[in-house]
This record gives sequence, structure tokens and C-alpha cells, in this order.
Amino acid sequence: MIVQLLINGIIAGCIYALVAYGFALIYNTTRTFHFAHGAVYTFSVYLFYTISAWGVPAWVVYLLTLAATALLGMTIDEVIYRPLVRRKSSLLIRLLSSLGAYIIIINLILMIYGNEMKVLNAKLQPTHKFGNVILSEVQLITVAACVLIFVALVLLLRMTHLGKTVRAMRDDPELVSALGMNPQNVRRLVFALGSTLAGVAAILKGLDVGADPNAGMVAFLSGTVAVIIAGVGVFNGVILGALLVGILQSFAVWKFSAQWQDTVTFLLLILFLLLRPEGIFGRRRRVEEIAA
Amino acid sequence: MSKLELQNVTKAFGGVLAVDGASLAFDEGKVSALIGPNGAGKTTIFNLISGLLCPTEGDVYYDGKKISGFAPWRVSQAGVGRLFQDVRVFDRLTVRDNVSMAFKGQKGESAIMSIIKRWQVSREEKELRGRVEELLESVGLAGREDELAVDLSYGQQKLLALARLLAAEMDVLLLDEPTAGVNPRMVDKILELVRKVVAGGKTVIIIEHNMNVVREHVDVAFFMNEGRVAFSGEPNAVLAAPQVKTAYLRM
Amino acid sequence: MTYALHVLNMISIYAILALSLNLLVGYTGLLSLSHAAFYGIGAYICSLLMMKLSFPFLPAMLLSIVGAVAISFLISLPSLRLRGDYFVLASLGFQIIVFSVLYNCVELTQGPFGISDIPRPSVFGLTLTSAGSYLAFSVVVAAVCGGLLYLIGQSPFGRVLKAIREDEIAAESLGKRVSQFKVIAFAIAAGFAAVAGTVFAGYLRYIDPTSFTLVESIFILSIIIIGGTGNVTGPLTGTALMLLLPEALSFLGIPDNIAPNLRQVIYGVLIILIMRYRPQGLMGEYRYQ
Repeated sequence: MIVQLLINGIIAGCIYALVAYGFALIYNTTRTFHFAHGAVYTFSVYLFYTISAWGVPAWVVYLLTLAATALLGMTIDEVIYRPLVRRKSSLLIRLLSSLGAYIIIINLILMIYGNEMKVLNAKLQPTHKFGNVILSEVQLITVAACVLIFVALVLLLRMTHLGKTVRAMRDDPELVSALGMNPQNVRRLVFALGSTLAGVAAILKGLDVGADPNAGMVAFLSGTVAVIIAGVGVFNGVILGALLVGILQSFAVWKFSAQWQDTVTFLLLILFLLLRPEGIFGRRRRVEEIAA
Repeated sequence: MSKLELQNVTKAFGGVLAVDGASLAFDEGKVSALIGPNGAGKTTIFNLISGLLCPTEGDVYYDGKKISGFAPWRVSQAGVGRLFQDVRVFDRLTVRDNVSMAFKGQKGESAIMSIIKRWQVSREEKELRGRVEELLESVGLAGREDELAVDLSYGQQKLLALARLLAAEMDVLLLDEPTAGVNPRMVDKILELVRKVVAGGKTVIIIEHNMNVVREHVDVAFFMNEGRVAFSGEPNAVLAAPQVKTAYLRM
Repeated sequence: MTYALHVLNMISIYAILALSLNLLVGYTGLLSLSHAAFYGIGAYICSLLMMKLSFPFLPAMLLSIVGAVAISFLISLPSLRLRGDYFVLASLGFQIIVFSVLYNCVELTQGPFGISDIPRPSVFGLTLTSAGSYLAFSVVVAAVCGGLLYLIGQSPFGRVLKAIREDEIAAESLGKRVSQFKVIAFAIAAGFAAVAGTVFAGYLRYIDPTSFTLVESIFILSIIIIGGTGNVTGPLTGTALMLLLPEALSFLGIPDNIAPNLRQVIYGVLIILIMRYRPQGLMGEYRYQ
């Protein structure tokens, strides 16, 4: 029983981890609270739904969907955030603009697709049994895909020049040009990659339970909680944070019933904000950084 | 005991000692200066005094009482005010409001009082207007009450910040580079204000890089290097000391 | 005619919400996503007192204010030392938790079923049964709230709030106990939001948690972002604009099934345009930094 709960939690956590990693990539490097990340997520799954009906081969569906999702993320940055950065607008103004972008995208989707859930996978899910644990095929694929992606991300961040540049950008945006890459391009790549991760998460989740317009907000908020728990400025630790959130939610549903899932998640957030705002892996900010 | 004293104060950040066993004493009616190369710990000393930082070792005393570890509002309510290096005026408030908010003991600062005792608060406000005008006159900003602070020049903003400190009736004024980035006429005005304030019995401590200012206007200088007070005393003597000279040459 | 009365009633209620959130966001610079939570707390405490304990309206309203203020300390005292964007998150978490409680504690709040047949208030012996008489009531309440909030904003207290918005550290260095001011501003905002909740409950005579969601908090925030922050005309302009927009859309013949979504799209576009070209809002004070 416990193991099943744990596994369910991990599967949910994997989805959150993808979303959270994408969000962290964007926030840590550009300091943009990309609320619209949740809308990008939702866009991806609905586009997938539409393109699936075109009768093209599966790999084309995935490619087109993820490419469009990456493009959406980059466009939001280009059209909405970058002009604000040029004007040196405050972070709060950027957050509010992001909120505006979220509202626009989600409602356009609602206008086109309506409010009901869409089923992506009409066939009945084959399930697999491992001892006492039951998993659907999609869930298995989710875990496998996520493991591959996380390994790739960790390697990307540690070994590649882009990864080093991204980490440098988190610490000091001025350094980026010194490292040889054009800051604008790094920004575009970060938004593209972050949005693609959200897109993958949305598709995997959609194949499991269908596409619903609220799922983006749920995944985004859980992802945000994961980022706070791991610590702002952290990348790989965010995966652990997300898994923790997923597992906690799973146990909370079992212990308190599904209706209290949000309360538990956000109590966790508030606890961390109050007791350990730097997160599990983060560094404590010095007062001098503010007062200097 | 002096008005403000630091006794053997150390501040460590991880492995780095920003301040290392520093002892300083500041007296009333005198202008004291912290001088030294960048990174010597001067601003850290100010942060330790004003409560933005807590000493790792040692204590800060004000009027003989320990204030190390006090929250910033307690330190400032006790009478220690600060002019920041980046001035920090309230940009989108008028010059008048910048000064008005600094006065102590305003009844209207309680939301409830501002409603229940509205007439009293109105009267208080009228009286404060007069005081604001006097203060602005004394710093040379007369007639600019209704301008936004962000529209003033850098030097004028410094004068405004000084007016604020005077309005708050601070007994100790920590001035971080008061003459930096300001044209010579303003520098004179600022220094004239400092002299007036000190003549009134206040304690002024400045962080200063302009050695002429230090020579001509400072009573006691503390030369800091690498977190320690290397030399202190009469400014000309301090500046003539060989280790001070070499430290500056090395800069 | 009755429809116009309805819109005007809602404008009065939202005016109170906008003006009170403005004290927090526009004057103090504290972005909060939990205003709808206090709106809901006010509505529920008032309704429950009237329905279950037969309280008359005015005492119920007073107790709602007390309740909302008390609950506000639960979130403000621990969170107000958090940096800006962290405080936003804490307020978001609080909003979601409050909604959850309203929705799930069915024995107490009747959850998704809501509370119905709330009696129309009796004020000084007069029962406000008609929409017209209720409008007079809600306008009077809105005017009183607006007047009080204006006085508070113009007072030395309001001046300190604005100083805190501009530069907290400088304000603290001048002897102002910043956390205390923030907690009080938050409590005042919560109290007035509760008043709006009671007026709402007495008007619609039915409340349920879906009126007090995160989306609602975002809507109230949008009103002052678009209309303007930091003064009184801003929030009032925003309220009128945002509440009349749906009417304008239906006048243009936009079909009902997409009208609410189209409305939201317009809000979103307005927010983005305003943040870019006029951050202080249409009628707000100075430039938002």
C-alpha cells in the first residue's frame, strides 16, 4: 500500500519536476516569475490533441507540438518580458505582465476548445503489475522518459558550455558575454528549453488522464512549491523537491482525502517560506546584499 | 563612556572576516571619520551600528547601553540615523513628504488615531509644515517642497536626506560618503550643515574618501584596513603615518 | 432597469474591494493575492451569524470585520518579513487554503452547496427588500468605506506606507517600525474586504466558495492595476471599467458561451499594455517602478 502511494507520488512528482525544472531554468537566469509557464503547459497538451487528429505519424505530432511550445515560450519572452527588461521595470511589473499573458493564453484556449476535458488516448490503458504495485503503461513511459530527461539535464548543466553559461547567468548576468555566448541567445534557449520541458510534462500527463484547462495551473503551482522547497537558484535539486511534493500529495490524499490536497501542498509552501526560505539546497541571503 | 562605542567587534561571513576585532569610540560634538581602502570594512561597521548586521563577536554600545543585535528600527528610534551611499530618498514622494514622514511622535501615524482624532492630526500637520519649511531652508532646498524627490539632482537628494535626518532629531548621524558625486558648491553646503549639527552637540561619523575633507573638517579619523582599525587619532597625524601612506599607495 | 441596479450594486461592492486592496498594493507596495479570501471570510462569518445564531445584520458585519482582521494576523505576522515575491507566494498559498477550508468544511460552511436564503439586512428598522433600497445601502457603505480609506491614505500613517513602498530600509532607518505598519495595513485591507463580503451576502442572499477563489483575487488586482493605484480615482475608474466591460461586450452581440473568456482576454491584454506603457494604471498616481 505504502509502496503504491510512494510510486504514485513519484509519478506525479516526475511531471512536476519537468515543469519545475523549466520554471527554475527561466527564473534563476532571468529573474522572471513566468506565471505564463502554466499556460504554455496547457497550450502544449491541447495542440497535441489537435495535431493528433491530423493523421500524421506519431513522431511528427510530438515534434510539431514541442517545437510550437518552445516557440510560444520564446515569443512570450520576446514580446512581453524583454521590452520590460529594456525599460528596467520592476520584478513585480514583470510578474503582473506574466499573469496577463497567462490569462490571455488560457482563455484563448478555452474559447477554442471549450471547458471540458479532452481525451488523448482513446484506447484502454494496459496495466502492469510489479508485486503489489500497479502501473499503467503511460505511467511507466512517464517515469522512463523523465529519468532520461533528468540525466540529460544534469549532464547538460554540468558538462556543456551552455550549461556553464546558464549557471553563470544565475550568479551574475554580466558575465555571460564574457563567456562567449550572446546573452539574448542564451535567454531564447532558456525559454525554449524550459517551455519544451513543460510541454513534455503536459503531453505525458495528458496521455495519462486527458487534457483539462486547469491542469496547467495545478502543475505550475506544484512546480513553484517544488522550486521554493529546493531553493531559489537551485537547478538539479528541484527534481528532488518536485518528487517530495508529489509524494506528499499522494500521502495526503490517502490520509485526509483528495479535497485537502491543495491545503497540504500550500501549507508545505508556507512552512518553507517561513522557516527555511532558502530551501533545502539554497544559500542564505546576506543582509549586506540588501543594505550595501 | 563615549556616545557610541564598538568594543572588539568581529563580523564573519563564512570564512571571511569583514571586521576583525575592531574597537572604536565616537564622541559627541565631534566629527569622526572612517577612512581606508575599499573592502576595509567601513560600511560593515555602519551596518553593525544601525542593526542591519549582528556582530559575530564583541558589542556595540550607545549611551552606555548595549545595542548589538537590536533590530534596525530600535536603533534608529534610539537616535542613530544614516545617510546611505546611494542616498535612498523616497523617489515618488514630494520633498515635503520626505521630510514630514521623518518627524518623531506623530499622532497621525496610528491609523485609528488619524480617523478618531482627525482635528488634532490636522493641527499637527499644519504645525509640521512650518517645521518642514524651516528645515528645507536650512539645507538650501527652500521652495522645492512640492517637487518629487526623484526629480532632484544627486547632490540635492543628499541635502534632502540630511534634512530628513535632522527632522528625525537623530543624535548620531552615520554619513556614508556624504560628499561623493556632488559638485563643490553642494559639498560646501553639506559640510556647513555637518559643522552646524556637530556644534549642536550631535555625533557625526562619516565614511570619506576625499582626503581634503578629512584634513579640514574631521576631528578624529580611524584608518581601517582589512577589517581592523590600524591607526586612529588626529587626521593629519593619521594620514602622515607610514602604514597609512603605504596602504593608500597600494590601492 | 433592475439589471442596471444589479450592476450598480456590484460596482459598489467592488469599489470597496478595489479601494482596500489599493491601500495594500498601491500605498504600501505589497502585492497580495489573498484579497478574495478575506472577502469570503467576511461574507461567510456574516451569513453564518445571521443564519445560525439569528444575529441582526450590523452586529454580524462588525463581527465579520473583527474575524477577518484576526485571521489576517495569522498570515501577516509570520510573512511580512518576507521579500516581495516570496510574500506574494505566501499570500497565494493562504488564498488557496482559505478557499479549501470554505469548500471542504461542509459541516461549518455547507461547502459547495453554499448558504442560501440569507435574509436581507434590516438597517435602523428598515428591511432592504427592494433592489433600489439595497442600492442606496450599498452606495452609502461604499462611500463610508471610501471616505475612511481616503482619510487613512492621506494621513501621516498613509505617508509612512508610501515611504515603505519606496524604500523600506530607508524608512526603517528613520525610526519607523516597518513590519508593524505592514501588518496594520494588511489588517485594514482585510477588514474592508470583509465589509464588501457582508454587503455581497446581504445582496445576493446566496454565497458559495466559488465567488472567493484565486481567480477572484486576480480579478480584484486587475481592477487596480488597470484603473490605477496609489490614489482614489484609480481604483474607482478600474471598478467601473471592469464591471461595465461585460455589458459592453454583450451589447456588441458577442455570443454568451465565449463572452466570459473574451472578457478575460481583454483584461489580460489591458494588463500587459498598461504594465508596458503606463504602469501606474489609467488614473493612478505617478509611475509604478
